[in-house]
Amino acid sequence: MIQLSKNYSLPERHEEQIPIKVVGVGSAGSNALDRVLLDGMDKNDLIALNTDVQALATSVAARKVQLGRNATRGLGTGGDPELGYQAALESGEEIRQAIAGARMIYICAGLGGGTGSGAAPVVAQLAREAGSLVIAFVTLPFSFEGKRRASQAQDALDRLNEVANAVICFENDRMGDMVAPKAGIHQAFGVTDMTISQSVRSIVNLIQRPGLIRIGFDDLFAALRSQNGRCLFGFGESDSDNRAHDALNQALKNPLMDKGRMLSEASHVLVQVTGGPGLTLSEVEILMRELGRHVRDHTQIVFGTAVDGKMGNRLSVTIISSLSAEEPTVSQAAPPKPESFLAPPPAILEEVDQPAPTPAPVPKVDPPSLGYPVTGMVPQSEMQPPPESLANDLIAFDEPIDAAPPPPPAPSIKKPTPRLIPPKKKPLMDKEEPAKPVKKDKYVQAKQEVMQFEPVTRGRFEKSEPTIVEGQDLDIPTYLRKNVKVK
Amino acid sequence: MANGDLIVGLEIGTSKICVVVGETRPDGTLKILGVGQAPSRGVRKGEIVDFETAMKCVHEAVVDAEQKSDVMIRSVFISVAGGHIQSFNNRGCVMLPEDRDEIDEQDVEDVKVNAREVSIPAQNAFLHSIIQHYHVDGQEGVLNPVGMLGEKLEADFHIVHGVRTRIQNTIRCVKELPLEVEDVVFGALASAQVVLTQHQKNLGALVVDIGGGTTDYILYVDGAVKQSGCLAVGGDHVTNDISMGLRIPMARAEKLKTEEGGCVLGNCLPGETILLKDDSGFAGKEIERETLNTIIHLRLREIFELLKRTIEEEPFINYVGGGVFITGGCSLLSGIDHLAGEIFEMPAHVTHAQTLAGLTSAAENPQFSTAIGLLKYAQAVQVDRPRRGITRIFSRFFPGMR
Repeated sequence: MIQLSKNYSLPERHEEQIPIKVVGVGSAGSNALDRVLLDGMDKNDLIALNTDVQALATSVAARKVQLGRNATRGLGTGGDPELGYQAALESGEEIRQAIAGARMIYICAGLGGGTGSGAAPVVAQLAREAGSLVIAFVTLPFSFEGKRRASQAQDALDRLNEVANAVICFENDRMGDMVAPKAGIHQAFGVTDMTISQSVRSIVNLIQRPGLIRIGFDDLFAALRSQNGRCLFGFGESDSDNRAHDALNQALKNPLMDKGRMLSEASHVLVQVTGGPGLTLSEVEILMRELGRHVRDHTQIVFGTAVDGKMGNRLSVTIISSLSAEEPTVSQAAPPKPESFLAPPPAILEEVDQPAPTPAPVPKVDPPSLGYPVTGMVPQSEMQPPPESLANDLIAFDEPIDAAPPPPPAPSIKKPTPRLIPPKKKPLMDKEEPAKPVKKDKYVQAKQEVMQFEPVTRGRFEKSEPTIVEGQDLDIPTYLRKNVKVK
Repeated sequence: MANGDLIVGLEIGTSKICVVVGETRPDGTLKILGVGQAPSRGVRKGEIVDFETAMKCVHEAVVDAEQKSDVMIRSVFISVAGGHIQSFNNRGCVMLPEDRDEIDEQDVEDVKVNAREVSIPAQNAFLHSIIQHYHVDGQEGVLNPVGMLGEKLEADFHIVHGVRTRIQNTIRCVKELPLEVEDVVFGALASAQVVLTQHQKNLGALVVDIGGGTTDYILYVDGAVKQSGCLAVGGDHVTNDISMGLRIPMARAEKLKTEEGGCVLGNCLPGETILLKDDSGFAGKEIERETLNTIIHLRLREIFELLKRTIEEEPFINYVGGGVFITGGCSLLSGIDHLAGEIFEMPAHVTHAQTLAGLTSAAENPQFSTAIGLLKYAQAVQVDRPRRGITRIFSRFFPGMR
């Protein structure tokens, strides 16, 4: 009953869209903006920020801000992040004006150079101070660009991680895998821009499209939660007969997915399936079942689906997840950051990472829940609707999740919490903790299965003269003789 | 119609029977006029197990070739394979009579006969005696001793032999059609003629012809055949493994192997599946790609490892500079060159017949390597030995054939 009334209210709320701005910082950022525009994002305000006036002039963005009029005098930064930082500080007021009024800010930047590395964290910080949600899409330089650039990029990434709500990081080296070896260099860079654009678009869609099962900010942050971690992002679209299968495969082939291998290590995976009016339940089911093979049993799949008339025959799949960095100590060292409001998100991470086996989650949960609303937005009243609706949605998709990991203690804790408090971090954490023992059990089971006995048989060669070499009957399938389990 | 010398190569393979019609031109080039083929039945592991059925299939293929090339086929060169084929290296020796010190052709013939005077199993017959090198009075590396002075002539031969009755089965099958059998050639030897260039033979190369039922190999070092043999495991085994492992019918397994199969592991998405559409008598099925590749990988890895162990019994593999050349239908499996390269620890290439005129599209298919190789072999033999009556196939040997 609750569900019904909530669903009913959803479309209305969606009449007005959340104001969004996409900010390209530096020349890599403005390249990405060009692509974003090409992909039909023109409705949103695009803002180009650059120190280099010439580059700025060629940008397609509606609004352009020259950074550091005095610091660089219209030239580039020459690869010096310090200069980029100064320039951004100098033009702080202009930036603030440009981004004013947006509830969500997407920052696109190429890290490693001067402007992108230096200015992007400043922009992120200004945006956060203005009360916006900040998601940064950044690229790391190719490894052949040298260690200096790599370390500059890493520094900038660390800073962004502190400031932005979420950072989606693309490694250019991986992009190379996506491009045919013979493709021109233009195309290679184009792929990076395209991937960024795809992800900006899909995240915007994710949040703006009226979802049957909606995904909101908090789901997104849960999926991108890990700090310094590697972001997994996949997007696939298909209109073939077997579109659910094809779209998923395409999404998994995204270089950031590492062919889906990484998914098995993620603890949260966010999936959104969008289709035209023809989207069928069975398609979604096929897709989710297939995806289920790529993730571990205890992985929480945050699932959303939306129907968009514009999609026509197409079906698109967006998968977002992140892996936590291998060494949690690093992320712990990083958090000493200037702004008080920045504290909570990393804090959540650490706690999730470390005290997994402890059985009393309630006291731990409290500080983040306190911190989170502050983190998210200063004008809290403004942000109220989304979390609310999210809570509703949560009810809607609670059931599929329940089905996946059935740890006995979880439901009792989880059921009341989502309704009580808007931020959904809590249930996520609760679920993760019981999940760990579950995982161990599974492994043990798998090992036992190997012991199965298969009768020795030669199949089609049953009646022919055996081929015996080195004492082995080669007509018997190799996998049987080597005791390799194939199923 | 052909105006040059017509040569026809016939390969009775496990999966298909293939007839290649070619003509030798006056300038010595070889032109392919047509390729006929028919699916093979009644053949297992390179040998005929159902005579009647196999004969029908051969007939079909020959008729197909005749139609496509617009010639009448009267005589053919056939290739043989099968696990019974073995080989070894032997040295023959003759002393020249006291009153003569110039080596003549008769001495060369004698030394070949002498080299064959080794015991092979009673039921076996010689298939080839391939000259490697002559030695005159201990001088090594003589290529043609005729006209040289010396007292002692020695010759190293690579001798290929197989079970007489089994080879005769193949010959009989063709003769019943009726077609004349000009010669019987070991499959790998034929393939090597077109897959390798003379330069590669000199450099040292291993040819692995993975067909439907057998895997034939031949190793060249310094331009001479050093090792050869046949392992009665081939693409059929891969198909059989798939069929058993995934529990699908043979026909589907074969299709799956050729369309989707690959031999490199870890190259696909975890959980990536292939959807087998349902068909009459077969309910659709979803198959994990990694499973399929694992089955193929294990089988091919085993084949290559067996080959490697066999070849390593003699030291020649260390002198191979050209790498491994894989041909035959199974070489079409993706990633097979990587696998072979990894196991043999040398560069591996998937190749097909090279340097031919005429129907070059046929040459580009590694499935036809052996049949086309037969033409090249025949050409080489005929240059040396202009046609003479076909009497006893097995007592012959072929000077100059390398």
